[in-house]
Amino acid sequence: MNNTLAKGVRFDGRKFDEYRPISVQKGVIKTAEGSAMGKIGETLVLVATKIDIVKPFSDRPREGVLVTNSELLPLASPGFEPGPPNEDSIEVARVVDRALRSAECVDLSSFFVEEEKVLGIYVDLYVMNHAGNFTDAATLAATAALMDTKMPKVENGKIIRGEYTGMLNPTKLPTTTTMIKVGDNWLVDPSRDEERVLETALTIGTTEEHVCAMQKGKGSLSKDELLAAIDIAFKRGDDIRRILKD
Amino acid sequence: MASSESKVPLIINGKRTDGRDMEDLRNLRIEVGVIPEADGSAFIEWGGNKIVCGVYGPRECIPRHGASPYHALIKCRYMMSPFASLEEHSRSGPSRRSTELSKVIREAFENLILADKFPNTQIDVYIDVLQADGGTRTASVAVAAVALANAGIPMKDMVSAVAVGKAGGMLALDLNKIEDNFGQSDMPLAMSHRDRKLLLVQMDGLLTRDEVMRILDMAERGCDKVHEVQAEALKRFYEKGEGETVKW
Amino acid sequence: MERRIILPGEKIAEGRLGAPNTYYDGAVTYAAVIGMVDDEGRYIPLENRYRPVVGDVVVGMVTDVRHAGYEVELNLPHGGFIPTRDIRLTLQLGDFVICRVKTVNEVGDVDLGEVRRLPKGKIIEFPSAKVPRLIGKKSSMIGMLKDYTGGDIMVGNNGYVWMSEKSDMPLLLKAIAMIERKAHKSGLTDEIANFLKSQVGDKPRTPTGGETGEGVESVGEEGETGAEPGYKNEQSESGSSGENYGQQ
Repeated sequence: MNNTLAKGVRFDGRKFDEYRPISVQKGVIKTAEGSAMGKIGETLVLVATKIDIVKPFSDRPREGVLVTNSELLPLASPGFEPGPPNEDSIEVARVVDRALRSAECVDLSSFFVEEEKVLGIYVDLYVMNHAGNFTDAATLAATAALMDTKMPKVENGKIIRGEYTGMLNPTKLPTTTTMIKVGDNWLVDPSRDEERVLETALTIGTTEEHVCAMQKGKGSLSKDELLAAIDIAFKRGDDIRRILKD
Repeated sequence: MASSESKVPLIINGKRTDGRDMEDLRNLRIEVGVIPEADGSAFIEWGGNKIVCGVYGPRECIPRHGASPYHALIKCRYMMSPFASLEEHSRSGPSRRSTELSKVIREAFENLILADKFPNTQIDVYIDVLQADGGTRTASVAVAAVALANAGIPMKDMVSAVAVGKAGGMLALDLNKIEDNFGQSDMPLAMSHRDRKLLLVQMDGLLTRDEVMRILDMAERGCDKVHEVQAEALKRFYEKGEGETVKW
Repeated sequence: MERRIILPGEKIAEGRLGAPNTYYDGAVTYAAVIGMVDDEGRYIPLENRYRPVVGDVVVGMVTDVRHAGYEVELNLPHGGFIPTRDIRLTLQLGDFVICRVKTVNEVGDVDLGEVRRLPKGKIIEFPSAKVPRLIGKKSSMIGMLKDYTGGDIMVGNNGYVWMSEKSDMPLLLKAIAMIERKAHKSGLTDEIANFLKSQVGDKPRTPTGGETGEGVESVGEEGETGAEPGYKNEQSESGSSGENYGQQ
């Protein structure tokens, strides 16, 4: 495999910095406040958002709450098993959470309802088909789901289900770009086959101007390699943001 | 974290809340061999963090069917005690956060440990945070490296770690808890000592590419300082030949 | 040359140095475990995890009796195995044995040969990195311990030390603990000699009948009569077991 890669070619014919085809469908779950099905190649991740009235954290009494959870559904891959979330599942939820939170795409200070009551937004990531790089597909779908999220009507400290006052309108569109290092090169958007042989993996979250999350998986890298990866992440992130805005 | 940046002043007259300059480490102390039953162990006090690490193995892999005939499995368990923070008593046992940190710490050491020499075995790295004050994951990497050396687990290199963040609009080395909670961003890093490879990279908050570049340089200098303390602790332990009473 | 502590990852030689507990990256040899450079510039590990090598002498205890042979606990993640076809005498659970490592397969399973049953006594664990110091140059240390404590001692490369019940065990254990603690100090043999003299006087208590006076029983394939003991712990001080870790 590495011999093929040394020639600058990937098995599926992609260039090193090329994603598989990316698409996203918003509004696929009508019972949720917002939703989107993100697709990168054959990797499918559904994200739905629900908004509830919750108690604020004691150190942030006037701020809403953002909670990101993930499920690697057993139907999504022969390698996934039923049971409590494993570390891969927890990691993707926490990386996506970090990207959304750092990008400040949800204005949590506008989520205050009354004393001891704030809005909480649950972002549930459902990995539906794992053909590699579910992290980027999850961020794609999560940002799209936030763009699709309608703000529920709140009266007397309660949510009136089915009635909405407008859209959430995220101010930033965070994306993540996952890369693996092969020799001196970064390959973006690793396929399942590429993930099996990877030595170093890195996910970088970006907004238009900022890096908003980073997470190294396996392996090691130099400072210069990290900076090169950031450059790639900005470029590919802008591509994904264009798709999100369509 | 960013939404509350203006509420707490983090830089006053160019000094940080605890009087440090931007590139000062908090007080750092490492003790070796603190758990005599373990194959290797170490204790770190770093600022208000107190973390103990014990290493066992290579030993028989449990469950046996999980073993690899190619290498030792490195198992890492980072745990926060329920009394580790000033807040209320927290739930014992693994949390989502500790599961993630266990993973990224393990992935740092997988680069160093010569695991292929010990097929069908596991190496356990137990990290218990007794008292937390920001930067526990980087302190955990620093203490675990020392415990692994004390255990005689063969490694290609030593590793040090430190977080650099942005507090009060300025880049600052080794964030304390207040800076971590109210600063704008945080980038924990671990770097191997000899070949200068990043073995742990995480980041949250917002940073420009230029800021990341400066953070990497600050972190490298910080890691060198942490390495000195690690090396000094090991040398002290082995030159002395026997353990003194540990100050916990 | 000045004695100094070496950390994992520190360079110890240009090119390949086929020494135990080192790591070779294709150009340079590095220490893989914490060690020291002695007066003559040699790298001596201070900690290691024992890895069996063909030809090693190991001490162990029979932990399972099966049709095909005996399982022997060797201070390793997995026991060693004595195939029944290779020995004539019957061993029992709990027997102490000294053997030679005959084969080590690629997943670390050990087959043992040249088996001898050891008489009643005790087995203690000693850091395998320090075994050469316990044996001493030309077995000087071990010979002295036998002389002063009045019983036989067998040291395995695996770090298990068998001592006869006829030994002055409290004295022997004290002396061995001293050797463990001060293994990296120079002048160790003299220091131990002084200690032993201070405890029992100048007159060694040489056991009658030489070092196998207690009849280390040969059950090996060579059919020895027991007159020639076969194991004298003759490894030289620098010749500790183990392989170097490096590119394959």
